[in-house]
Amino acid sequence: MRRQWLMALALSALASAGLAQKTLVFGHEGEPVNLESGNITDGVSIYAQRQIYDTLVDFKPGSSDPVPALATSWFASPDGKSWTFRLRQGVKFHDGTDFDANAVLFNVNRWWDPKDPTRIQGGANYEIWGELFGGYKGTSGSFLKNVRVVDKYTIRFDFGAPIPYFPVAIGSGYFGIASPAAIKAQGAKYGTPAGGAVGTGPFRFKEWRVGDRLILEKNPNFWKQGLPKADALVMRFIKDPAARLAELKAGSIDLTIQIPPANLGAIEADRNLDPVLRPSFNVGYLALNPAYKPLSDVRVRQAIAMAINKKAIVQAFWSKLGETNGHFTPTAFKTYWSPEVTDYEYNPTKAKQLLAQAGYPNGFDLEFWYMPVSRPYFPTPKEIAEAMGADLSAIGIRVKFQTKDWATYLNDRKVAPGFQAYMLGWTGDYGDPSNFFDPHFASPITDLFDSAGKPLDVKELNALLARGSSSSNQAERIRIYQQADKMVFDLALRIPIVHSQPLNAKRKNVTGWVLSPLGSESLEDVDKSGL
Amino acid sequence: MWAYVARRLLGLIPVLFGISLLVFGFLRAIPGDPAVVMLGERGTPEQIEALREKLGLNRPLPEQYVIFVGQLLRGDLGRSSFSLLEVRDLLAAKWPATFELAVSAMVVAIIIGVPLGILAAVRKNSIWDNLATSFALVGVSLPVFWLGLMLVYLFAVNLQWLPSGGRLSVEADAFFRPITGFYVLDSLIQRKAVIDVLSHLVLPALTLGTIPLAILTRITRSAMLEVLSQDYVRTARAKGQAERVVIWRHALKNALLPVVTIIGLQFGTLLGGAILTETIFSWPGIGSWIYEGIINRDYPVVQGGVVFVAFVFVLINLLVDLSYALLDPRIQYR
Repeated sequence: MRRQWLMALALSALASAGLAQKTLVFGHEGEPVNLESGNITDGVSIYAQRQIYDTLVDFKPGSSDPVPALATSWFASPDGKSWTFRLRQGVKFHDGTDFDANAVLFNVNRWWDPKDPTRIQGGANYEIWGELFGGYKGTSGSFLKNVRVVDKYTIRFDFGAPIPYFPVAIGSGYFGIASPAAIKAQGAKYGTPAGGAVGTGPFRFKEWRVGDRLILEKNPNFWKQGLPKADALVMRFIKDPAARLAELKAGSIDLTIQIPPANLGAIEADRNLDPVLRPSFNVGYLALNPAYKPLSDVRVRQAIAMAINKKAIVQAFWSKLGETNGHFTPTAFKTYWSPEVTDYEYNPTKAKQLLAQAGYPNGFDLEFWYMPVSRPYFPTPKEIAEAMGADLSAIGIRVKFQTKDWATYLNDRKVAPGFQAYMLGWTGDYGDPSNFFDPHFASPITDLFDSAGKPLDVKELNALLARGSSSSNQAERIRIYQQADKMVFDLALRIPIVHSQPLNAKRKNVTGWVLSPLGSESLEDVDKSGL
Repeated sequence: MWAYVARRLLGLIPVLFGISLLVFGFLRAIPGDPAVVMLGERGTPEQIEALREKLGLNRPLPEQYVIFVGQLLRGDLGRSSFSLLEVRDLLAAKWPATFELAVSAMVVAIIIGVPLGILAAVRKNSIWDNLATSFALVGVSLPVFWLGLMLVYLFAVNLQWLPSGGRLSVEADAFFRPITGFYVLDSLIQRKAVIDVLSHLVLPALTLGTIPLAILTRITRSAMLEVLSQDYVRTARAKGQAERVVIWRHALKNALLPVVTIIGLQFGTLLGGAILTETIFSWPGIGSWIYEGIINRDYPVVQGGVVFVAFVFVLINLLVDLSYALLDPRIQYR
């Protein structure tokens, strides 16, 4: 009773029912929390939403370069304070209603306006809008001052200051445009297994079996001619990476994401599988908190940066799936890298000398916190921490490893005076360097503290970042972020250890899967042969 | 007997209250805040505070407990802090998967474990006995995670005889519709995908059933050994009864009481979910769901899930107690 026999039986039943179709089975790393766009930030939900919704702006496959999507073009006002988007005509939502400027306005108001009556009250707070755009309607920090429909296919956003990165930020996977009619009809059920989700994207919602799978079918009216290539997309929720890999090997799924780097060899050795790498768009770093005496001295922090053999660590834990170069931003932002930054040379002798100059010739005790969970930027945090600890002990720093449960870890690092040294990382939301620099170095820095126990404020850097995020002159922005890159490197408050390329895998008969550095991509181009 | 059942059911009320208090208290005692987990690496203090307020976490603990119990009394288990879905609906979706897997695992354990235990007892100190006791020892010692993955690699990846995970193949999606959520039942009702559904159960049931199987083998063996040394068994043999009759009619029936107790306890435990087996086989049951709820500090999910599991566990125990009267007429419930 071979499994193929079972499959053949099932397929013959399908064929006899006239239902034979090309179904793509995607091994998802979890179950979406919700399919309501703009109200969820976890990668699992966003990946699923990306198949149902389109955004105003999309990105060239495999890059973070913006390309037209639901908006065909966009331009800023001369003062940079307004952005106008011309919208695609003739696009319909999956429920048959028209996509137009009013639909965009409806969605934006829902994200931006806390008093919008169509918001789901309870649970998450549409926090991503506030985080990316300074706050909500009616709050002093909100970048957005007004949004209005110019005509049926034109919408304009007015800001208090220039927001040069707005088109790429609004193009991030968080902000899929949903059908206003569906949201009004479903109310609180919208985005749940019972209510589904309605967008304009390549696949439309069919069924969500709780804990098991999300079944999507081809959108026959998709505005991109000839796409999607698959007739149906089934996202199976398989949380365990070993189970995902086993299912891929067994052929019960066609493609999957987030496989631990250690499996690269096994995937390459399997004649049915191909590894697929996502371009790096993250950073895994070691934060050094100046609230504590030895770490308040920049020489000590730089000594630590010199003492850690980052190249060897990256080679050992990521092999060809990671790189280390001293820059806080990944290669996608190479334009913004300072030519003056070359990573601290691994040099324990020099590091020891620096420690001695700082008054610690015999080293010191250091509490070193490592994450209790695996993340793409640190897939095996404990082992990586131990490798760094071994390097630090070579220059006399006596490392005491600590960890806490994830929720507590995230929380306690922000409770003054915070952790001494800790591992954490970041995966970018959109293709602008401000998305890496601002959350980590703009004042106040909430997870690093000064000697008085107050959130750290690096005034010069903060002023630079403020200029960078409001300048609409690209040449000037490049100069600003190159300066920021150098300043961040010299301060050594967060030592970038790795920019990793998350490992994914597919069956050999699957083609057209180009992974986006931004963490999720539409599977509209993915095809599968050998039905 | 009905008065006894009613008394036991009434006794459930303080038990469930006690459990609700324990789970509520333990959850709050674990450090870590649901709002922090929900917002992850990017949450600002203001966002965290706003979310805490929205989730009602800034209210005094006694008030939170009263709200929880009030909801419980109305049959409302609240909403998941993460997905905003009704915990009741989530339980309804996940419970059938857990029940089906637990039943299958117990079927594996009973149909292999009990005969093996009998064989070991009847052929005491023989090669069969040694094999059965060694098997039982290995069975309880095997790490479930390892066993599950080995079974997957052998039967799903290499031999491709059985599916590697899930409850239903994607191919069967086109003609199978879940009705009750109990897929075996649903497939039988529709007369579709029966083999597909059953084949998905085999490996998880074998994995999950291994430990109860080993325990049942050992318990059956020792219970049978004790009964076989009783005078009435010797009498039966002396009367010239066939050995088959002595073992199956006289000995086994009396040896079954401890076996049934263990079956009940094991079944109750399996119904509480099997985190590792569910994880390996992507089985959408309540074990991994509650576990994830704990990791995410999703209080309503953990509270609702644990109270429900406790309720089921107590109910199973009641059924086991009632079954004693069927097995041993001397036992009466008043």
